[in-house]
Amino acid sequence: MKWTACRDLALRIGLRHFSSGRKAVSVVGSGPSGFYTVCRLLAKSEIPLNVTLWERLPVPFGLSRYGVAPDHPEVKNCEDTFTRCAREFGKGLDTRHTFTFMGNVSVGKDIKLRDLLDTQDAVILSYGCSGDHVLGVPGETSTSGVFTSREFVSWYNGHPEFAGDNDKLKSFPWSKVRNVGIIGNGNVALDVARVLLSNRIPELWSNTDINPEALEALNTAPIENVKIIARRDFIHSKFTNKEFRELWELERYGIQGIIKPEYLKLRPADLESGDRVFKRRVEMVSEFSLPFDQRTKKNYKKHRPPESHRYWEMDYLKTPLTINSNSKGEIESLTVCRNSLTPSNRVEQHLTETLDYDVDVLVTSLGYGSSPLQEFGPLQIGFATNRVANANGHVLDTSGRIVSGLYASGWIRKGSSGVIASTMSDAFQVADAVIADLESGAPPKDRVLKTTGLDSTTWEDWEKIDEEEKRRGKLLGKPREKFLSASEMIDFIKDNR
Amino acid sequence: MFRATFLPRIVTRALPTPRFAVSGVPKVSFTPIRFHGHVHKPKVGEELNVTFILKDGTQRKYEVCAGDSLLDIAQAHNLDMEGACGGSCACSTCHVIVDPEYYDALEEPDDDENDMLDLAYGLTETSRLGCQIKMSKDIDGIRVALPAMTRNVSSSDFE
Repeated sequence: MKWTACRDLALRIGLRHFSSGRKAVSVVGSGPSGFYTVCRLLAKSEIPLNVTLWERLPVPFGLSRYGVAPDHPEVKNCEDTFTRCAREFGKGLDTRHTFTFMGNVSVGKDIKLRDLLDTQDAVILSYGCSGDHVLGVPGETSTSGVFTSREFVSWYNGHPEFAGDNDKLKSFPWSKVRNVGIIGNGNVALDVARVLLSNRIPELWSNTDINPEALEALNTAPIENVKIIARRDFIHSKFTNKEFRELWELERYGIQGIIKPEYLKLRPADLESGDRVFKRRVEMVSEFSLPFDQRTKKNYKKHRPPESHRYWEMDYLKTPLTINSNSKGEIESLTVCRNSLTPSNRVEQHLTETLDYDVDVLVTSLGYGSSPLQEFGPLQIGFATNRVANANGHVLDTSGRIVSGLYASGWIRKGSSGVIASTMSDAFQVADAVIADLESGAPPKDRVLKTTGLDSTTWEDWEKIDEEEKRRGKLLGKPREKFLSASEMIDFIKDNR
Repeated sequence: MFRATFLPRIVTRALPTPRFAVSGVPKVSFTPIRFHGHVHKPKVGEELNVTFILKDGTQRKYEVCAGDSLLDIAQAHNLDMEGACGGSCACSTCHVIVDPEYYDALEEPDDDENDMLDLAYGLTETSRLGCQIKMSKDIDGIRVALPAMTRNVSSSDFE
């Protein structure tokens, strides 16, 4: 049978991944790590590939679309690279490789990882972290007004599992919220603080793609204080200087930062041994803490702040003990204890020295957690704390041996930390390892992956959604207005095929 | 309120990277200019020169136009410089290491650039972001190296 006839037959019986001597590669998850892995494979592989990118949601880009704060649109520009790459190889403009996007398909549920491993020459897990770390304190899950940062961030970013049909935060009585506690001081915690404190300032949010229903709800909240609580000291703060500076610079809107002097008593040794990042952070605090006219550097004197009416405070050396609620199950306060650090940097809790913070909302921002796929058990794939067991991206089984043809990149490989640049670098290294194996390894498996019965979305579907979101946004002077529900996306796709 | 009265220079001055010290090795290849992307064709007599030292040590010299950024120049010539944020100073993927001979001729990096450089791999005393360096007569002949994409070895590498 001629090749074209074979292909036609394959298409007719629903085998979309009919091979043609190319090696088949599947990447699971279309966030920055997955997409950078794909782009690198397509750009660098000398042998022809059929690359399939699997995504649980109907639309691509993961945390770039649903994690990066709406007021950081420039960080989302990586999506332009992904789009260029998807178009070049997905539409046959570059015929060295093929690219197929399979949205709305959950690997492990709708299609088995085992089937991918059986049919693909390489499978790369890049599905990141879809869970939360928890505090493990009484009241955490049962109290109204306690949210995880994932819930909150996904909500204001319009993630279909947390907004639209699935919105649980919209109905919360935000109009009673004056004091907010945030546990953890990573960049996500600072994003949350920034959104909470500045959401009523139209010039900051009206031209972003923030979930308008979330913005409307938050606008009713008369928030006065946001306390950002960490177990360790100032030196061990997790945020980056960019996010820290953005918080300070809100002073021009009457939003002032507070760090109590007791947390800033740095020893000369701390300053001397501190790295560049730390020294810049110290400079920032010391300048912004001064009255405006006494600041020494002009870059801290850009805008004279008006009188302050809202405050954020970095609180250190506290561990949350209990979340206290009223008879209706609504949060009233948070009990914390004081900590100290041992010379070896261990946190020592002083359980008798407790404090009560009155809070109307508590957001836990303890980092995102990843979880194993159900099939990891039967496939004997190793899973360590918060990441898949791997050696430089080669996934290991429960006995520590390399699982042939299975790789991991991004947060599922390393744990949930790092910015897009580090994720990109990691993805490139893993992709290069995959390419090296593909180029030296066995001939193509040439096995057919059955995708019949999958209600999947294509790249063209996404482009139509993208276009529609931008069209709706343009009417309102925004970059886009996101679809908030998966069902709405699917309906739109079906109407426009 | 604490106040650091003396802030030492942010990075202690490092030795020039060996890649600059060993000048002329490996060989310089002069690549003909192609124009696409955001770069402009220089007018005759107004050409400026820039040399990129790639991760494998090869050197690429280009004649470019005043005003073009190093990121745009690198991308126009398909060099391995990513520019994840599209040149908006919001990531560190266009990190370059500037030849110390030219570093002081550049305007000082602003806070936004420094905040991003904080996150760059293999930061040196003369690191800059390629998107923030615009070609001008003052830096005609500038040489920059693309940092080898190495990470610090972490415990996760050995699991």
